[in-house]
Amino acid sequence: MNPLNWLRSLGQFTYFCMTFFRTGLTRRPPEGEVFKEAYNIGVRSLPILMIIAAFVGTNLTLQGHHAFEPIGGQNLVGMFVGLAGVRELAPIIAAAMVAAKAGTEMASQVAVMRSREQIDALEVMGVNSYWYLITPRFLGILLVMPVLTTLAIYGMLASAYAVAVFQLGLNGPEFIEFVFNVTEIRDLLIGNIKALFFGAVICLVCCYHGYHSDPGPKGVGSATNRAVVTAAVACVMLNYLISEIAYA
Amino acid sequence: MPNENVIEFQDVSKAFGDNVILDGVSFAIPRGQTTAIIGHSGAGKSVILKHIVGLLKPDKGRVMVMGCDMASAPLNEIYATRKRMGMLFQNGALFESMSVAENVAFPLTQHRKDMSAEERAERVATVLQQVELPGFQERSVVGLSGGQRKRVGLARAIIASPEVVLFDEPNSGLDPVTSEAIDELTLHLQRLLHITFVIISHDIVGTLKVADRVGMLYQGKLIEYDEVSRFIRTENPIVNAFLKRNVQLPSGGLPAIEEFVGESS
Repeated sequence: MNPLNWLRSLGQFTYFCMTFFRTGLTRRPPEGEVFKEAYNIGVRSLPILMIIAAFVGTNLTLQGHHAFEPIGGQNLVGMFVGLAGVRELAPIIAAAMVAAKAGTEMASQVAVMRSREQIDALEVMGVNSYWYLITPRFLGILLVMPVLTTLAIYGMLASAYAVAVFQLGLNGPEFIEFVFNVTEIRDLLIGNIKALFFGAVICLVCCYHGYHSDPGPKGVGSATNRAVVTAAVACVMLNYLISEIAYA
Repeated sequence: MPNENVIEFQDVSKAFGDNVILDGVSFAIPRGQTTAIIGHSGAGKSVILKHIVGLLKPDKGRVMVMGCDMASAPLNEIYATRKRMGMLFQNGALFESMSVAENVAFPLTQHRKDMSAEERAERVATVLQQVELPGFQERSVVGLSGGQRKRVGLARAIIASPEVVLFDEPNSGLDPVTSEAIDELTLHLQRLLHITFVIISHDIVGTLKVADRVGMLYQGKLIEYDEVSRFIRTENPIVNAFLKRNVQLPSGGLPAIEEFVGESS
């Protein structure tokens, strides 16, 4: 990508976010829309998120066991799952799944509305399009992201426990004890804080790409594609930043 | 004030990159009349509409709409001015997730919290009657024909009793019969409501039927702007060619504006 184009996009995105925070959050959101969006985002992302989280848990356990067994540290598997899974992987997996499911939907919906002049129609009718379109999605995603992240953590731990105990024959209470030796309530809180940031980033990035999409089916498709890629990359980078601040 | 100008373009210029769309355009739209701006595709007609509603800002000049400078006024003032306008979009710009009644009532549900649901329903029924779609309230907009979508869009545009209604290519994508029906409806509504209509179109036949004043955009300039009776007698060769629908384009493309400016003024 041309650095000048990249800088222009960054500037445009910053302006988009500033306009949203200045005009979209200064009054009550459209009636009933926040919970509708929260429900849509949460329910649609939950099944796939739980499947992915469960299998990430199984694989973490297998790899941990594979790494620690030669040095006689099988019991450290619980610690490994706790550190890698709870602190890092669960929040980022939740973000990736929400970006893939709800984020793409946001981007494509807004892009289609742009393409069909519905966003212009809102503005012409004196309705702030940021407030009407983005505010419910923004607040909805902030409501559900911590819940989804917490569920992903527990889903991952449950599957990790199942593999550790029933497949690898490790001691169950010891596994749990090692998990809780390295993870605290603070980790769950940090995971939820990450989730809030990820949710905000996913919503703003996806709505931005939809809002500034080119007309026609090609424009909608490329906006959706750019949205999910940008949101995923932004979340991974943000994950590192927050972990660095919280755990350094 | 019958001679009051409701919209004024004052030396407005707009370019997208190197592409000059409007080049020092000035004109005024009087209140209570139907004014049409015609021109070939890509002449900048829709850009004029977007300047009127403040979706685009001019590079130079001013666009005054009911006393509000749409380029420099604060956002809340622009929204307040927009609430005094209605607009029929080229493809209706209807919300597919809503029924016809919900689409039509949208401006009221957003801005008229004082109205009860019954009052809104009554108002929706009235405007649907006016656009000749009685009983369409519960229909989904997805299954509507092009003409019906335009009528629903028009109903939405007039439901909040605006002072100005803007039409973006009201005849585009319609068959001749439906197109004529929309023209008749426009004429009927103007007589009924006595509000200002601004029509952007390339359909010269329909435009001359419904408009009181007509302007023609050509290569970024408004080369003719007058009452219909005088417009059709112009000696401007481009306007004449457009009126006759037999524009003879040289192989190099459209003739340069300089060839005509002297003759038209």
